[in-house]
Amino acid sequence: MDLVQYLPQLGQGLLVSLQLTAISVVFGYAVGLLLALGVSSQLPWLKWPTLVIVEVGRGIPSLVVLYVVYYGLPSIGLLFDNFAAAAIGLTFTVAAYSSEMLRAGIQSVHRGQNEAAMALGLPQTSTFTRIILPQGLRSSIPALMGLAIQSFQGTSLAYSISVSELMSNAYQSSSITFQYLQIYAITGLVFAAIAVPSTWTSVWVEHRLAKGFA
Amino acid sequence: MSQQLITESQQVTSAGVTITNLSKSYGDNRVLDNISINVKPGSVTALIGPSGSGKSTLLRCINLLETPDEGTITVGTTTVEARARVSDRALLDLRRQVGMVFQSFNLFPHMSVLRNVAFPQEKILGRSREEAEERALTLLDRVGLREKAHQHPDRCSGGQQQRIAIVRALALNPRAMLFDEPTSALDPEVGLEVLAVMRELAAGGMTMIVVTHEMQFARDVSDHLVVMADGHIIEEGRPAEIMANPVQERTRRFLSAVLER
Repeated sequence: MDLVQYLPQLGQGLLVSLQLTAISVVFGYAVGLLLALGVSSQLPWLKWPTLVIVEVGRGIPSLVVLYVVYYGLPSIGLLFDNFAAAAIGLTFTVAAYSSEMLRAGIQSVHRGQNEAAMALGLPQTSTFTRIILPQGLRSSIPALMGLAIQSFQGTSLAYSISVSELMSNAYQSSSITFQYLQIYAITGLVFAAIAVPSTWTSVWVEHRLAKGFA
Repeated sequence: MSQQLITESQQVTSAGVTITNLSKSYGDNRVLDNISINVKPGSVTALIGPSGSGKSTLLRCINLLETPDEGTITVGTTTVEARARVSDRALLDLRRQVGMVFQSFNLFPHMSVLRNVAFPQEKILGRSREEAEERALTLLDRVGLREKAHQHPDRCSGGQQQRIAIVRALALNPRAMLFDEPTSALDPEVGLEVLAVMRELAAGGMTMIVVTHEMQFARDVSDHLVVMADGHIIEEGRPAEIMANPVQERTRRFLSAVLER
């Protein structure tokens, strides 16, 4: 079973994929929250530009974003190595998608919560950060977990700009041995081995949240 | 016990609430038409009337959850003019003097009962965490809910949640309290627990304005009864007198409808 000798390479690729996922999720959600706040703003000069960013990010396929960052931006002097380009591109896409999830979560917080905080005399900032945001984040969690799983799968697109992630290492291995079926099947299983339990976890979390937070 | 609840909550004296020529419209719909009410310090005013009469809107104008179009609101020494621009400072000042209890409780579901009562004290009065929580526990004890302190609100019954909501407002030493149908979402039996706490508060000298359908409470506890319909005050006076001999036909119809339930 000579396939075993390629496992370390796939393992290394997996590590890169997980790094890309971690970066795009952590920074993507943070930027996503800022975008959500921007879109919810009453100020037109803030609202409309952020809305455009969000719609562009959700409208353009992730692969196109990666090409723009990696091949396009150097022509205006912004040069990134392939890993950085992948991280930036995926973060952008994740930010755009997560912003709408976060915005929906924040909007789902009952109006009475805001009224109660106002009636108590809480200042607007602590009303948002301590009352509204924690509840909004909590109701966004299921959607955000789903997006994290999708962005893990989406890291395979970084293959197209020669990042040595899981998919790209699988391609190299299979092009040496011509065991395409076996290696891609293993690659698929590796993705699934991470994604499927994560999905189960997110379903479990969703049930827990629904139960404890009616 | 009544004196205890009020002394625990009141470090400042109750304030009067005066509303003068208050009006508010939503588009063409005039929901409040030139309303004036004077609530003396330490007195209880009950607001009754059919739904859509504007009583809740009136209550919500007092702490500016709704913005009136015209008129003035005075709580203690703070006066707000409807037409003038209200500074954030004046707004917070007004709201900090007036506690409000909602029909749907509106406790913060992500915080324990203790934090629900302590957190606003820390943010608004600048109390330390220990001080705020100690005070919260004392007040929760007074309404018989100390053992619920470390639970979340969703583990409490409706009547318990409403008593916690009252305590949350009292912990900030309000000078007047607004109640917006505080027992309407509760089973009658459970509502009694809440009404008992409100009776104590009233007995202790808290200024209270209560929108309610609880006629017995209005008769026994309130000093002044205001009947509203279609954005107007149609009748006001001593509760027992109005209930026994309503002058207006509209009041008579409303009272017989409510009392027959």
